[in-house]
Amino acid sequence: MTSQDLLPSAHVSAATRAALTQRLAETGAAYTPQFLAPETFRLLEAVAARLFPQPERPVPIPLAPSVDQRLAEGRADGWRYDALPPDREAYRLGLGGIQEIAQALFQADFEQLETGQQDDVIKALASGTPPGAVWQELPADRFFEEMLAEITEIYYAHPWAQDEIGYTGYADLPAWTKIGLNEKEPRESPVE
Amino acid sequence: MPDEEIAEEGLLTPTEPAIQDPLLRELLAENDIPLTAETPRERPQPTPAPTETVDCIVIGLGAGGAPLLARLAQAGLKVVALEAGPWHNPEKDFATDERAQDFLFWNDERLAAGGDPLAMGKNNSGTGVGGSTLHYTAYTPRPLPDDLHIKSDFGVGEDWPLTYDDLAPYYSEIERFIGVSGPTPYPWGPARATGYPMAPLPLNSAAQLMVRGAEKVGIRTSPAPNAALSARYFQEGVGWREACTNRGFCQAGCSNGAKSSMDVTFIPLAVKHGADIRPNSYVTEIERNERGHISAVVYTQNGQTHRLACKNLFLCGGSVETPRILLLNELALSSGQVGRNLMAHPGLQVWGTFPEEVRPNKGIPGGLISQDTHRPKDADFAGGYLLQSIGVMPVTFSGQVARGRKMWGQPLRDYMRQFNHIAGINILGDCLPHASNYLELSEELDGKQLQKPRLHFTAQENEHRMNAHAEKMMRDIWAAAGATDIWSFQRYAHVIGTARMGLSGDDAVVNRDGRAFDVPNLYICDNSVFPSALSVNPALTIMALSLRTADKFLESVQ
Repeated sequence: MTSQDLLPSAHVSAATRAALTQRLAETGAAYTPQFLAPETFRLLEAVAARLFPQPERPVPIPLAPSVDQRLAEGRADGWRYDALPPDREAYRLGLGGIQEIAQALFQADFEQLETGQQDDVIKALASGTPPGAVWQELPADRFFEEMLAEITEIYYAHPWAQDEIGYTGYADLPAWTKIGLNEKEPRESPVE
Repeated sequence: MPDEEIAEEGLLTPTEPAIQDPLLRELLAENDIPLTAETPRERPQPTPAPTETVDCIVIGLGAGGAPLLARLAQAGLKVVALEAGPWHNPEKDFATDERAQDFLFWNDERLAAGGDPLAMGKNNSGTGVGGSTLHYTAYTPRPLPDDLHIKSDFGVGEDWPLTYDDLAPYYSEIERFIGVSGPTPYPWGPARATGYPMAPLPLNSAAQLMVRGAEKVGIRTSPAPNAALSARYFQEGVGWREACTNRGFCQAGCSNGAKSSMDVTFIPLAVKHGADIRPNSYVTEIERNERGHISAVVYTQNGQTHRLACKNLFLCGGSVETPRILLLNELALSSGQVGRNLMAHPGLQVWGTFPEEVRPNKGIPGGLISQDTHRPKDADFAGGYLLQSIGVMPVTFSGQVARGRKMWGQPLRDYMRQFNHIAGINILGDCLPHASNYLELSEELDGKQLQKPRLHFTAQENEHRMNAHAEKMMRDIWAAAGATDIWSFQRYAHVIGTARMGLSGDDAVVNRDGRAFDVPNLYICDNSVFPSALSVNPALTIMALSLRTADKFLESVQ
């Protein structure tokens, strides 16, 4: 069954339902950036759209808003690479650096590029040695790893992404009794 | 530096980094301008009225602080516990959702330096009444006796000033009290007078696959000891606790009290015997009298500063906050060992894709164990490791795929679609102390205007060799079990050793009873006092040390 079937059911606790329905409610809603400038936020959205291309979804799982919100509130996840500056600084430098790569490779802003070219920019970043002055200061591999991990975790926390991978673990009431190989509860099977 | 103008243009609301200039900070404070966002606090607690001098203050309510708190309260002492985080109601508050459970981790930033920077946050830290046990995996094997004398056996690392026999009675007591489910008899180590109080938890898919693979490569396995209930259990001070429902969310908080975290075991016992628990209480200063003895602790609770006088202090903040408090207060530093000897367990994981449906989020995550690799015959390294099957939650797994496989775009989505067919296996290995691995205070300030800790960690030759041995072993097991697309993820878990115990104040911070050599009424109990890392998960041993520290203290004051 999918999140649509399971969320209203008695298999989901109130606290779990509250967290997931909130995430769904924010999906597709207009978002005004709180921390990044509008054009920088659009750049982050464009980068996130290549990290998680969602061509099949009319409304994509929102990825950039959670990052912007976190930076605005100054929340951290408990640690950062000592080689990177504080998160706010790292994101504004790193996004500026992505624009530098786009300019160096294609003499255009990232958002103006074809998707294939955008992917080339991200490949250059992921390689750890992209062109651009920013990357003389900011370690490209660490920045890319941090940004990718954050956006990936935002994506897979969304009920639609969990449907995509067949995950139903949030529907854990009253218990899981079939936990061995090839065993599943009726609520873990696709709806006929 | 890059073009500053472009960087500034990227900001809608430019935010100052932590203000370093003390004068400017004062000016801002006088004008009541907040410097940084406060960590959100849950459920404000009532502010305590000023009290008299208490017998003992315990700082930190994880595996180090909670057992001794109960013991001291049971002895009739007036004890107060200061815990930085809130007191939760898991049944009502804990969601089966990883992001919603982020509040379980110590989210103030720590700086991770060195060649193998240690991931903190959800990997390695905790906050709240119960500390890291609120999200530990509950994997509770005992160390084997030779874990405690690695230096005598191999000439490297450090011996404990205690033997296995000193700790064994405490292991038995704790396993019985908190309710550990495990195999009787246990296949490795010395014979035990009593078995585990409950049968092992049921094996999930990953555990079944490890049984299959390990059999083929000739490795013995066993259902693992886990501090979660395989049946209803009567808990002194609590009443009946319910059995595990196989949610598999141990690392994001247990919602039904089946996992034996401190908040459902030692803490209610302590409360029953009169312990005063003060959540959301963040310690800022430790005061000493003219004799150098600790006289009081200053802490903030709900934005108010309190000062509580005490006769004895038990510092149990974990191996980051404990040395940080010592360093900030210039306390017990004469050995030069505070912050040094930082160790972290090699926790290399190997993942694979199986034709069968695995659904790795269900069941106790660490269902199976093998200690056949405790002292491998063909080892080219000191010490050894244990093998463990691992379950995983989807968000944690996806982050590891991103970091470990560097996948992104469509390939990442395609790989993650196999989630229900993926299973993992990992090690927990011993680690040797090294001069380049240590904790220090950085110049950067956190949200509370205190210096952030910086952790330097670079795995050395011994860890590299152990990882290589383990990776080959685990790849063999997974291939034998039928896995394809096998990959490994390098990780280090548990920060250990930053205020170690020893026989002499020349090279240790506390003695074998947990008492600071420099400060007679200061005791330390958490994984910072471990002289060596051990080749097992630390929680059970921290609890054992905690009870022993309390007993030795009580003997000394009687």
